[in-house]
Amino acid sequence: MNGRLLKTGRLLRPLFAIVCGLGIAALVMQLSGYNVREAYSALFTGATGIEPGAARGASQIALGTLPVFSRPYHLNTFLLAQSLAKSTPLLFCGLAIALGLRAGLFNIGAQGQMTVGALAAAFVGQWGIGKGDSGTFPPLLHITLVLMAGAAAGALWGALPGLLKAYRGVHEVIATIMLNYVAINATTYFVTHTLKDPNSAAAQSARIAKSAWLAPFVAGSNLTAGFLLALLAAAALAFLIGRTSLGFRIRAVGMGADAAAAAGISVPRTLIVTMALSGALAGLAGGVEVVGVQHRFIQGIASNYGYDGIAVALLGGLGGGGVGLSALFFGALSSGAAHMQTLTDVPDSIAVIVQAIVIIFVGVRYIRRNKRNRGTFNLDEMQPSGSGIGSGKAV
Amino acid sequence: MPQTSLDSPANLIVRMDNITREYPGVIANRNVHLHVRAGAFHAVIGENGAGKSTLLNILYGRSKPDAGRIFIANAHGVEEEVTNTLNSPAEAIRRGIGLVSQHYTLIPALTVLENVMLGAEMPILGGFLHPRRAAERTRELAAQLGIESLDLNAHAGQLSVAAQQKVEILKALYRGARILLLDEPTATLAPPEAHALFELLHTLAAGGTTVVFVTHKLRDVMAHSDAVTILRAGQNAGDFRTADTDSQELLHCMIGGGSRTATLLNTDFESASDDLPPKTARSLNDTGIAISNPAATAAAPVVEAIIPSPLLQVEDAVIRGDRRVIAISEARLTVGRGEIVGVAGVDGSGQRELSEAIIGLRRFERGRLFLEGSEITSRTVRQRQEAGIAYLPEDRHRAGMILDFSIAENYLLGHEDRREWGGGITLDHARMWNRATEMLRRYDVRSGTNGATALAGTLSGGNQQKVVFARAMEANPRLLVACQPTRGLDVAASRFVYDTLRRARADGLGVLLFSLDLDEILELSDRIAVLYAGRVAGVLNRHDATRETVGALMTGSSGSGKHISLGAQV
Repeated sequence: MNGRLLKTGRLLRPLFAIVCGLGIAALVMQLSGYNVREAYSALFTGATGIEPGAARGASQIALGTLPVFSRPYHLNTFLLAQSLAKSTPLLFCGLAIALGLRAGLFNIGAQGQMTVGALAAAFVGQWGIGKGDSGTFPPLLHITLVLMAGAAAGALWGALPGLLKAYRGVHEVIATIMLNYVAINATTYFVTHTLKDPNSAAAQSARIAKSAWLAPFVAGSNLTAGFLLALLAAAALAFLIGRTSLGFRIRAVGMGADAAAAAGISVPRTLIVTMALSGALAGLAGGVEVVGVQHRFIQGIASNYGYDGIAVALLGGLGGGGVGLSALFFGALSSGAAHMQTLTDVPDSIAVIVQAIVIIFVGVRYIRRNKRNRGTFNLDEMQPSGSGIGSGKAV
Repeated sequence: MPQTSLDSPANLIVRMDNITREYPGVIANRNVHLHVRAGAFHAVIGENGAGKSTLLNILYGRSKPDAGRIFIANAHGVEEEVTNTLNSPAEAIRRGIGLVSQHYTLIPALTVLENVMLGAEMPILGGFLHPRRAAERTRELAAQLGIESLDLNAHAGQLSVAAQQKVEILKALYRGARILLLDEPTATLAPPEAHALFELLHTLAAGGTTVVFVTHKLRDVMAHSDAVTILRAGQNAGDFRTADTDSQELLHCMIGGGSRTATLLNTDFESASDDLPPKTARSLNDTGIAISNPAATAAAPVVEAIIPSPLLQVEDAVIRGDRRVIAISEARLTVGRGEIVGVAGVDGSGQRELSEAIIGLRRFERGRLFLEGSEITSRTVRQRQEAGIAYLPEDRHRAGMILDFSIAENYLLGHEDRREWGGGITLDHARMWNRATEMLRRYDVRSGTNGATALAGTLSGGNQQKVVFARAMEANPRLLVACQPTRGLDVAASRFVYDTLRRARADGLGVLLFSLDLDEILELSDRIAVLYAGRVAGVLNRHDATRETVGALMTGSSGSGKHISLGAQV
């Protein structure tokens, strides 16, 4: 059990899953009669912003002639920014799900927690609104308040199934799925009635004050400081899991609830706190989407991020760093697929195929582990083996 | 008289010979035989982990033996070898074997009738069910059993545990069971219900059905069975006709020490061990802790240990078990400083529940708990730890440690809020690792080249137990609650456990030792409390305790035990 080998293995396995996913998707495209080379080159450009040709305009940075390809390339900062922007909610939701799984909880409710977080953020975002959406609050304060509202709403929405699990034994998968429907329908009610935008027929809230807007890093893109906040959250999660007694308790409950209880750790309290923190992370995803992208609550604001976050968390191996890389990959894949669809006639559903195959390959690992342990696949057992990020090895 | 074979093969309905079943690291059955006469009421008894359930599962086709042969007599009494064909419960049912397991398998939302039919539907053409005929047949069977009052249309979930069990029996008979296996059938029943169950089983046996039941309740065995097979540590420990034996003899076979004659000859058990505690009274003097104990000098059987300020007091505890049944009633127990109090009893008599309630994992339904005079009945596990109670759980792998945690992390478990352990709001990894490394050295834990970063699951059982002990002892507790501390350990590791417990006593700690191993209790304890059916049946000074006196109390078959026990403030 060499430490370095273990580390490489943890990186190699997800990479293998990704390569398999891309390979099988290529096969599907080939069999369907598409030009795989063309499609993947467009996907790559959309994902990374690297495209052939000389740099033109301020948003393109020349990369010079790359040695292998012997032609000039440039970096399209807009495309890269869109990729990173797409990763932002995925990262928050991935972290939310990873944290839950650390305590042995499968939080399927990130979708609903993100939705209620977004609504709370949109509500607080309208505080102090004036003419032409100008705001009277200092921007930093207002943005902080809005994000805190999003996190708090998500935390409450997450704590609810935590309470049910801790004191009534209700399985969190059932409770969170149910609460997703409640969240989606309740928020829709609010933005078609009390909080409805009076100037639009759509199911959306009015715009938030400009004092609560985050400015994009690249003009026209959705990349804002929200992305940095997500990276910060990933670092915070890694710290929480590996370096704090709360994280220690969470892992203890996840890996051996009976031993944790016998050692005096309150299992119910740990479950509730974990679900609340998990919900807060998903709620932040909603808050960032409001302040950085939509500037209001729109119906379906959570898109599919809450569910995609499951794939992000599993591919990322439930650690802060791994989930970060995994979110970047899935964000780039989704952004690249959109670009591919506009440049070629290949549908962006190819990205879904890649994602599905990656999940299958990563999932096999969990099934195999559980087969060894119990003989059945049990969602409750979906926990990483070995000690966590920075836990055993860092000492 | 122990007999290896009671009957000639001619009238046996079940003949299992030389059954061996190995699980990774554990031999559950080694060369076990089970011979059941047709129409018998046959008991299989043994302690937890003796291999009873494994044997039953093999007979029911749920698991395959690694070696051995199985013969079942068919409906015409002709013995057929089924060693190679008996590989599923479906096949067992086809051969006329039915199992009522400890955990009932009824579907709560379905009616009794639907549950009985489930999997054995009588389809008419094209797979349509024939509920009317099924109902008739079920009613007939219920009438034969004398339970025609059972409502076939009630939902199974609404039935009491006892009624559900009857439905399970109906289910087995509906499938044509000639041999009915029951795993701990009375474990969750109240005495009148158990009585009714046995009445029903006797009706069945009178009608020609062979009944095989697994239990550890000797009273049931003596009252109801006509033959007994005893297992101990995965091996046969005796076969008896119930009429030719008594519960004392059965108990000796069950918990070791051989037959009664062997036991009587070998009155001094401790001479078998090379490192013995001195006799109780002397050991107390050696520790320099003044405990006046008149009962130790007087020959009176009633123990009136006068402890000036007891460390732990359990007062009139009533504790419920997992299925909400009362597991402990009106228990009184006292532990003084510098003494080991052993809690003996056959499996299931309430030790687990009592130990869990003392450390805080289980609620006191009634009664109170004091540590050094202050009441801690409603404190949490953590608060009790901080007050000085340390816990050595029965199941190391499940409750003792987290196998996927490193040794250092396991060592921190329970102390994760303590700065000096490397805990606190943020963990101090360097300190945590240093402490764990120091502990490995002092307790001589062999963890390989990875030291404290090795995963706990990679340690041997003995080394795991050392880590669990070290974690408890280094918290400087005043009371140790040790449950089955040597289960599954080899001799060297057991010696470590004994030494540690004795050192704790010498240091003035109180030790509450829960053990199913009577030899262990007799070897370590200064006083012995015996639980029987959830009650403290008696408390004896080690001085006065013999295998016989303790054994009699353990089985509830002691007349003299009563005046020792009742009301004795220990």
